[in-house]
Amino acid sequence: MMRFTRSKKGMIGSAIVAAAALAVSALPAQAASTETQGVTATQITLGISQPTNGPASYGYNKVAPAMDAYFKYVNANGGVNGRKIKLIVKNDGYKVTDAVNKTVELISRDKVFALVGSLGTANNIAVSNAVDLAGQGIPSLYVNSGFSGFANKSTYKTMFPLFPTYYMETKVLGEYIKKNFPGKKVGIIYQDDDFGDDALAGLKQAGVTPAASIPYASLSQSAATAATWVSKLKTADAEVVIMYGVTSAAAFALGTAYALGYKPQWIIDSVGGVSATLQLLGIQAPLLNGVITSSFLPASTDTTDEYIKLFQTINTKYNVAGTKFDDNVVTGMNTAMMTVAALKAAGKNLTRSGVIKAIETKGKTFPSASLAQPQFSTTSHVGYNGFWIGTYDATGTLKPETGKYKIYTTDSGSGAVKVSTWKRPAMPAKGLPK
Amino acid sequence: MHNHRAKRLIGFILLGFILFLIGNRVDDLRLYQGASVAMYVIGIASIVLLTGFSGQISLGNGAIMALGGFSATLAQSTWGLPLPLTFVVAVLGAALFGSILGVAAARLSGPYLAGATLALAVALPSLANQFTFLGGEQGLPFDSGSAPTFLGEDFSRFKWFYWISALAALLMTWLISNVLQSRFGRSWRAVRSNSTAAELVGIHAARSKVLAFTLASGVAGLAGAVLALNLGGVSPSAYPLSLSFALITGAVLAGISTLSGSVIGALLLVGMSELVGSLTSRFSLEDVLAENLKELLVSVLLILAVVFTPNGPGDRIRERKALHKKTK
Repeated sequence: MMRFTRSKKGMIGSAIVAAAALAVSALPAQAASTETQGVTATQITLGISQPTNGPASYGYNKVAPAMDAYFKYVNANGGVNGRKIKLIVKNDGYKVTDAVNKTVELISRDKVFALVGSLGTANNIAVSNAVDLAGQGIPSLYVNSGFSGFANKSTYKTMFPLFPTYYMETKVLGEYIKKNFPGKKVGIIYQDDDFGDDALAGLKQAGVTPAASIPYASLSQSAATAATWVSKLKTADAEVVIMYGVTSAAAFALGTAYALGYKPQWIIDSVGGVSATLQLLGIQAPLLNGVITSSFLPASTDTTDEYIKLFQTINTKYNVAGTKFDDNVVTGMNTAMMTVAALKAAGKNLTRSGVIKAIETKGKTFPSASLAQPQFSTTSHVGYNGFWIGTYDATGTLKPETGKYKIYTTDSGSGAVKVSTWKRPAMPAKGLPK
Repeated sequence: MHNHRAKRLIGFILLGFILFLIGNRVDDLRLYQGASVAMYVIGIASIVLLTGFSGQISLGNGAIMALGGFSATLAQSTWGLPLPLTFVVAVLGAALFGSILGVAAARLSGPYLAGATLALAVALPSLANQFTFLGGEQGLPFDSGSAPTFLGEDFSRFKWFYWISALAALLMTWLISNVLQSRFGRSWRAVRSNSTAAELVGIHAARSKVLAFTLASGVAGLAGAVLALNLGGVSPSAYPLSLSFALITGAVLAGISTLSGSVIGALLLVGMSELVGSLTSRFSLEDVLAENLKELLVSVLLILAVVFTPNGPGDRIRERKALHKKTK
């Protein structure tokens, strides 16, 4: 009994002390409105959290520097409505808790105006919940994830996914398989999370039932795990194999299958099927011969494309010296261009809600290298809605299926897969959004 | 004895007041890091209780934390419980699971127990992927709420996280320190040191081990709920295998047999990235080197700790003092 009275007294005492302290310690009032945080007369500060090294970073670590290179190019050409763009890059190693920590740092310490190109499905979900992006009105532009759940506008009010969803991709690939490989047994290796589950659901929607479905835990990819994938695929007699994961997983799958003498028709998703990164990870170009992949941006080797030509010049002049031009560089620069378009469209009096409104009302007409049209509207925050399908040749160059880009569009539901008739408008002068 | 308890209580209240003052003087990032430190303190305290006192090793604390996190989240979404009660559910849920696990654990020892708990750490979080009511990899949102309006408009979300996390850590460590000083704490130590001798003086060794496992699991459950609060949700990827290892590392670095060491361990875990970050910017190291530098420093510290202060720096200092007295 004695103990209780003591602790009660202590509690009451501490409560009084705490209340008194609360009363005397005045809190500093916030200086600027959060609506314009990160915007000065001469500068706009943006932030990105993504893996810049570690097992999941290969290839994607080129995205943020490529974005920065495009921003530098814009800055050298007068900036955005007179303001220069500053991009702060943080490494989260593709880990959820790190992504939240780095984002808190970006927002509270670096005082960024908006997040741009944040990478990862699970990471973006956690960041959105922990930081309460929607409640705080912080824009998260063009997240680097094709998770269809981000299309939920009521949960992710300030988020704009740019890429077509994984669901759309496997729907398109599924239709392609049915048409080009009828009757063949299909296998799929997929990352065992929303990223892969989304893909699996899309494939089912397309009416393809895989003979073997092999999930793998994110970051568990290795030569040893790849050997188990191959043995399962062999047992199931899979003749067409879809690899749905990040590039490092795709590299292990291709390399190990080759070493074990297993030669199915490989189809790699747009996330993992990046030739330059695969080669960097030890997959020789001849091994890529005949591998099918999909994309929504023009191939980085297609020098007839005006956007690719411009991005190549920017890469040489503004990117980190010695950066090899590849699809990840194109992705980064395209994201940066869409960002500049949004900031410009929001006008001279730049605010967070203004930039969100600008994308909702004018996003459809923003200049971008994509061969599928951005679909932003007041009712949907989803960007592109289509893919073209191509095959790698023996030099590791991706060629569209019929020599020309044929875009298949669809949705993240039960809608049909259609061939798009949309024609990308000409690039604005010097590749600078108006 | 009572005098001791009262002193300890006053100590904790003072500590709470200091934490409160610190919370008013730092920015949002530090507040958020503070909340992470509090989460780690609870997680490491669980290991101190289990390994340091009861002598049982667990590599599966991350999994128990996941259990706590999911319990709290489900309690909130299903029954609409307020925040403090969801934490209670997390503790009870994890403790219940821990008691079952503890029965099995009492039969295992050393590497076998380590192996079994490691398997748990690998399997349990990914099990959540298999059940839709657990939200798959996307997980479930946890409504962290926001600070009551009377605290003012400038009272940030992160300060709210910090307050709750720090309060949870204070309460829990205070409770644990009381338990450790009680009959139970003494019997755990007796069993750890020599289980036969302990049985001879009338301690039921197996029962004592199960109790320790149950309590430690309850503590880990609270850490899991605090993490859910700070992340605004639960998902398997929030409780990876590396979390279990980080907790062990933190516990070993700071001295596995002292509760106060858990604070040092937690500070080290959170502060290391910050330290490496400032080192890299000062000496403009390459990013690749920077990330590996962190792992390297932690590993080196771990090896040094095991070699030179297997019971933690605190214990070492105490030993020195004792030696000093003797030579006098």
